[in-house]
Amino acid sequence: MTAPLPFQAPGATPPTIPSASVLRRLSPTLEIAWRQLSYHRTKLAVASAGVLVAVMLMLVQLGIREGALENSISIARRVQADLVVTSPRTRTIFQSAQFPRRLLYRLQGHSAVQHVQEMYMGQARWRNPWQHNEHPISVFGIDPRSPLIDFPGYSDRADELLLADRLIFDRNNRTSYGPVREQLAASGPFETEINHRRVQIIGAIPVGISIVSDGNLFLAPHNFQRLFPDRSPGAIDLGLVQLRPGENPELVRRELLSLLGRECRLLTRQELIDAETRFVQDSAPIDFIFGMGAVVGFFIGFVVVYQILYTEVINHLPQFATLKAMGFSDGTLLRIVYWQGFILSVLGYLPGYLMALWLYQIATRAIQMPFSMTWQRATLVFSLTLLMCLLSATIALQKVRRVDPADVF
Amino acid sequence: MSSDSPPHPAPSRSGSNPRDLREVALPAGNHASPGPEPAAPPTGRTATSLPAIVARNVAFAFGTGELRRQILFDLSFEVASGEIVLLTGPSGSGKTTLLTLIGGLRRVESGELTVLSRPLHHALPADLVASRREIGFIFQQHNLLEFLTAWQNVELMFQLHPEVSADQVRDRTLELLTLVGLAERLHHHPSQLSGGQRQRVAIARALVTSPRLILADEPTAALDSQTGRDVVELLQWLARTNGCPILMVTHDHRVLDVADRILHIEDGRLQA
Ligand SMILES: Nc1ncnc2c1ncn2[C@@H]1O[C@H](COP(=O)(O)OP(=O)(O)OP(=O)(O)O)[C@@H](O)[C@H]1O
Ligand SMILES: [Mg+2]
Repeated sequence: MTAPLPFQAPGATPPTIPSASVLRRLSPTLEIAWRQLSYHRTKLAVASAGVLVAVMLMLVQLGIREGALENSISIARRVQADLVVTSPRTRTIFQSAQFPRRLLYRLQGHSAVQHVQEMYMGQARWRNPWQHNEHPISVFGIDPRSPLIDFPGYSDRADELLLADRLIFDRNNRTSYGPVREQLAASGPFETEINHRRVQIIGAIPVGISIVSDGNLFLAPHNFQRLFPDRSPGAIDLGLVQLRPGENPELVRRELLSLLGRECRLLTRQELIDAETRFVQDSAPIDFIFGMGAVVGFFIGFVVVYQILYTEVINHLPQFATLKAMGFSDGTLLRIVYWQGFILSVLGYLPGYLMALWLYQIATRAIQMPFSMTWQRATLVFSLTLLMCLLSATIALQKVRRVDPADVF
Repeated sequence: MSSDSPPHPAPSRSGSNPRDLREVALPAGNHASPGPEPAAPPTGRTATSLPAIVARNVAFAFGTGELRRQILFDLSFEVASGEIVLLTGPSGSGKTTLLTLIGGLRRVESGELTVLSRPLHHALPADLVASRREIGFIFQQHNLLEFLTAWQNVELMFQLHPEVSADQVRDRTLELLTLVGLAERLHHHPSQLSGGQRQRVAIARALVTSPRLILADEPTAALDSQTGRDVVELLQWLARTNGCPILMVTHDHRVLDVADRILHIEDGRLQA
């Protein structure tokens, strides 16, 4: 050994040596990706905030779209009859056309039918006893003793509902009807006027309101007649048909149709739900408005993530070229940038999810319809977020692929 | 006083001379603790008697057709194992281009170029990448990743050698960074290091996986003369102790004395 060893400081203190991190055990390229992203805290914060906004917009817009739709068809969803008879002119049960009750009773004679039940539906004017103004309200008349529809708590009050001019309020109704729930909670049943007739509100049950109707009332058919004296009891809005156990609604329907003739339509429960969904989608552009919001969210996130990843790639081209020159493959560099896309997805998604939960609560209060998270939507939006980030990474990567390692010399 | 100070006298590491770097050369197998005998050398190491670089009538041109410009003409030379060869010549004479050919970063057009027993003149792209992994590159710009510490930048190279155990990676990284005098700066980012220190990290990075050939393109150009001198002496010391050949482009007259041989190139032709 002749040459002196340069640079070595005498008496160097023993250095601390890092141990392999958790990230590295997952993937060495993930560790590099994280180090690169986390080196510039502000950039990382901006990128995550961009993803957060995108996630929030997508979750909220899709949530409101779905919530508005789901709430609007909640009455249809609650039908428990196997088949439903409507007028061919009915497009939604909120604006139904009537058909003769005798047609429904004809079905009673069929051996597959266990039970039929008529349901009345109308739009009435509710007098707000606090503000002395009137507000339209949907009124549903059905026998409270054994309704073929799931109005939670309705049949529990059957005895009272059979008395004259008693009805029950929907707990989800908008506040335009006045502080009804508070009144009920504080001092029980109270009186008001509906269609200029004095009635007693005996309680409130949770059913669900629609974007086409601000509120619902439920009462027995004979009380419905009192509210709508012009309407003949023989003209009904909805016929609910319960089949005997084991009967197939699809098969029975054909036979029943021949009994009904052309004056009625016979729908399965699912067809009724589908028809209501179609009506809501046709009558209000919720798909467009909220779908658009979700698309805008996706786009915002895409642009922000692309900007960040692209500048990261551009700023590090010489270093990436150096790594390539030293024998690193394109694959390694691709993985680093894709991991960065993945990290940004996760960093943006988690707070975005929490923000969305909070906004659902605000929307529930503001729109007065319940909105909630579903795991399907959460998964869908996470997939969209990943897609958004990986797409950005893919485009940003076009540069890395084209780097000529010979250029670093 | 920074650690860019002049070289210290030979230090005593545990009272003995620094181990031959090849003693900790990457083992081919999984024996974690090299005994007193050097670990079995990786494939090709035994062929030390063969020259590291053999160039026969190498020519190269940029562009095609009208734009075609020939840069290198009929170059023939050899670099023997353990030799330190400097490449000098005026600007634009083709030094860097020649280095990129030897480094497998560009493809030889005509003639024969064999580097570390690999004929690069008919190599597939994958062969070129494999060849690059056996070469230590030192660039004019250090090109360290600024988001990684000195330690991480050096350690990164072992991703190309996943067969090396974590313990060996740690030992080897520490050894190289100690060797270039950065034992006290292991966890500094490049922005916290001086120009000379950064270049030394780059050298540690180029050498940590025990390359069989070092290609350096003006490694001292960005450094002041004293630091440049130190860096070159470090390279020389490493080459001498390892028998690792070095081909270095330089304009720096003060470092010519470290060379075993000087190749001078002018207008793409070697001068006798
Ligand atoms: N990618 C390229 N495309 C076309 N011409 C190039 C390219 N790279 C270099 N050249 C040309 O090739 C010639 C040799 O360049 P090279 O970089 O090899 O010279 P050099 O000897 O390294 O010069 P210097 O000392 O200035 O670094 C120059 O005339 C240069 O313009
Ligand atoms: Mg050059």
